[in-house]
Amino acid sequence: MKLSKKVVLIGHFGVGKTSLFRRFMDNEFSEEYKVTLGVQIKKKVIELPDGRELSMIIWDTEGHSNSIEDTRKSYLLGSHAFIYVFDVTREETYATLHKDLEYLKKNHAKVPAKILGNKLDLVNEKEIAQHLTSQEIHFDCLTSAKTNKNVQNFFSELAKEITK
Amino acid sequence: MEEQDKLKILKKLLLSEEKEFADSIAQKVEDLTKIVHQKEELSHKVDPIIDDKLDEFIQEIPTTLGPTITEALKEEIKNSQDAVVEALFPIIGKMIKKYIAHEMKLLSENISKKTKQAFSFKNWFRRTKAKVQGISQGDLVLSDYAKPRLIQLFVIEKNSGILLADFSPLSDDTIDKEMVAGMLTAIKSFVEDAFQGGDQNLELIEYELYTIHIQNFYSYYVAAVISGAYNMMFKEVLEDQIIDFAKNHISNKELKNSTLFTKKLKKYFADEIV
Repeated sequence: MKLSKKVVLIGHFGVGKTSLFRRFMDNEFSEEYKVTLGVQIKKKVIELPDGRELSMIIWDTEGHSNSIEDTRKSYLLGSHAFIYVFDVTREETYATLHKDLEYLKKNHAKVPAKILGNKLDLVNEKEIAQHLTSQEIHFDCLTSAKTNKNVQNFFSELAKEITK
Repeated sequence: MEEQDKLKILKKLLLSEEKEFADSIAQKVEDLTKIVHQKEELSHKVDPIIDDKLDEFIQEIPTTLGPTITEALKEEIKNSQDAVVEALFPIIGKMIKKYIAHEMKLLSENISKKTKQAFSFKNWFRRTKAKVQGISQGDLVLSDYAKPRLIQLFVIEKNSGILLADFSPLSDDTIDKEMVAGMLTAIKSFVEDAFQGGDQNLELIEYELYTIHIQNFYSYYVAAVISGAYNMMFKEVLEDQIIDFAKNHISNKELKNSTLFTKKLKKYFADEIV
């Protein structure tokens, strides 16, 4: 039987959601910054360890400037997972994390939300991990769309989790 | 000393300056005459050379200046594409219109010619119909072609945009149906959100020669891609068929099984609508 799941990328503008999206989908990266308007959707078929195939339909939404409540609500409906992306070099992109997670919990209680810190290539991994922990920012993964660090692995793990 | 010699000396003394002036004028006149004559002589010699060079220059313009002018024009067009399109659009539009009208006329005449030659019950019926209605057989054949046709049918989960089932009578697999389902849902969500029409739903999308008929149900919606003239009669029949399928041919349990759903959808919609 066909297996399809909707995964939505959310987060402040300029955190690298589209770069992660392009890195995972097409293994491409560009330094050029283009604002996402509305949403873009792509599909990637992932082979699961048990041999099944998952069509992961990823919705790359436009970034918000204040909180997740600015994101078009209908884009979040029917999701099987959220990926909350923040920029490890810009504190304002994770300043509203706790509030945003509360919002997701309240409105989409059954949908898992993964926290992902991007642009790891610009900082020292150990130092930033310590800094984030001291700020009580609990992340699931630190990635770099530029160098492809942890990107493929993160999505593979997510695929396993949402098909359990 | 005689009187005349004295007068001469006196004249010399009194008019020496004037004489000098007169001499200098005479010299200048002589110089000017020389220059004028020289120029005339020069022009006789130089003019043919200049004419030859000018002819040569005119002939060589395409090779010497051509690339530079072309490059400059290219750059100018590139920098002001909108202006060029704005200027050309009405002209090209008219040309295309004229061309299409002409081609359609030819096509209609061709069809009329061919149908006149053919003997079949269908053609006999069409000929009779054309005679009764007072229109050409070509126009009747064309109206047959403009008939609305179902190109593709998608059944899509309402919120997630996940494709539950699909059917295409033309069996065209060139598009990624799952991505189309996602984008259709995003467009639908955007329109329904943006215009804040409460519980209102997007029901129709038109693009060039196609129409997407959207029919909403509780947990899913059906998007039917139609080619040709989508009219009220066709819309009603299509709506009735989709409702009948949803009510009588698919259960809630079967909604979750996309393979079975697709099989049933194909079986039900295999016959041409209308």
